[in-house]
Amino acid sequence: MNPEKALMTDESEAPEILAPSEPHTQTRIDVSAVAAMAGQRADTETVFECGDINVYYGDFLALRDVTLDIAAHEVTAFIGPSGCGKTTFLRCFNRMNDLIEGARVDGTIHYHGVNLYQDEVDPVEVRRRVGMVFQKPNPFPKSIYDNIAYGPRLAGVKRSALDDVVEGSLTRAALWDEVKDRLKMSAYGLSGGQQQRLCIARAIAVQPDVVLMDEPCSALDPIATGRIEELIAELKTEYTIIIVTHNMQQAARISDMTAFFSVQANEMGHRTGELVEYAPTSLIFTNPDDPRTEAYITGRVG
Amino acid sequence: MTEEVRTEFHQLMDEVRADLVQMGGMVAEGISAVSAALLAGDIGGADQIIAADDELDLLSLEAEEKCVQLLALQQPVAVDLRTILTDLRMISEIERSGDLVTNIAKAVARLHGAELEPRVRGLIDRMREQAVKLTARAMDAYAERDAGLASVLNDMDDVLDDLHNEYIVAVFASHELGKISIQHAVQLAVVGRFYERIGDHAVNVAERVEFLVTGELPEHLGANRARARREQDEM
Repeated sequence: MNPEKALMTDESEAPEILAPSEPHTQTRIDVSAVAAMAGQRADTETVFECGDINVYYGDFLALRDVTLDIAAHEVTAFIGPSGCGKTTFLRCFNRMNDLIEGARVDGTIHYHGVNLYQDEVDPVEVRRRVGMVFQKPNPFPKSIYDNIAYGPRLAGVKRSALDDVVEGSLTRAALWDEVKDRLKMSAYGLSGGQQQRLCIARAIAVQPDVVLMDEPCSALDPIATGRIEELIAELKTEYTIIIVTHNMQQAARISDMTAFFSVQANEMGHRTGELVEYAPTSLIFTNPDDPRTEAYITGRVG
Repeated sequence: MTEEVRTEFHQLMDEVRADLVQMGGMVAEGISAVSAALLAGDIGGADQIIAADDELDLLSLEAEEKCVQLLALQQPVAVDLRTILTDLRMISEIERSGDLVTNIAKAVARLHGAELEPRVRGLIDRMREQAVKLTARAMDAYAERDAGLASVLNDMDDVLDDLHNEYIVAVFASHELGKISIQHAVQLAVVGRFYERIGDHAVNVAERVEFLVTGELPEHLGANRARARREQDEM
């Protein structure tokens, strides 16, 4: 499959769109260089290249000048205080900000080399490839089976193949054994942790490339959280995962790379988020470079 | 605007810091006291010093217990994690220096009746001075988180090593002149070694302080060379 071509609504335009983009002139945080410095693997493929991302809600600048790369088959965690723009940034990766009235994204996000924000890109196709799991488990008011089958059905998967898709997705989400005997029952009958794994199964049922997770464990107890974390570690062999979390220990446990965002208020009192530091997680939690990162993760700043 | 949000956690860390500084101070005082007892042949004084080591052992166990609590309950990261790891390593270094002070104290009785020559006495006093200085500087570097101060400890230790060499020569010259028995000469040589080892522990403390502040250890240089050699061997 060619991800560059398939993303376009009009494939005939693809070659022109795929002309090499201008080289980035700004200082870029180079994942591979940072990873190599920390003695980690440096030969990973880049999924997203973000250049100078600014996000506005109306006139209000919510996030300033974010430039970073996301590597394939890694878990990247976004951490930072409330209002630092981490969720806003996460929503840039599948154009969820399009759905918010007045939201505007400046800058570039290249997904496998394709600028996600050019007109020819179909946001629906983007969201199929870049799935999302939300803070609160949000199953559809349908059966367990139909929750998983919903997306594949829309995508035109044949009825005969649906059973396999449902079983495969639930198995990969480590939920199959718990629900295989009650697939026709309502998803609302599941526990919170099971519902969240169901949502992960639903996200991967449409064979995405990337899964975005926005605080996926904040509504779950420690056991359910542990299951999701284990699941994330397994899923990263097949998918690229970006996770926003308020739980720094969670970021430390599960992520390969960590981006720390902070928030700064201007003289008008408007608070704008910015990227402070992006480095291998092991480095961030043992010897971070920026004093602001250290202050935040050690609890010296409120 | 630095607002403390983990007050209790950081207070407990400060307590451990104070414990360690106190322990270092006890060792420095012990070096002076045991040197005085040694030069005066004061066996009673030496026994008191041996008994005082229990206090140091108790403090080191209490400090270690606090570190374990911090690790288990507070999930320390970054500078907090490095501090607690440094504390744990330093506890053993200081505790061991305290044991060396005790060893010198035990030698006082064994040296009963030995007539020490002025040169030997003078060198013991200078080793005492240098060992106290090294221990105090290492603890200052720790208390102040001063990596620069820590980095000079190695050079200061060279002075103690030179004194130690001079001292060994003086002790055996003294024996050859018939001033002290071979048993006493050996005992004195071992005492010199104890002073020299106290200096080494102070250097270890200083290296740990550098790690605390910078995240780097002097051993990283050698380790990188070994890593490069290993990679070359594998190719």
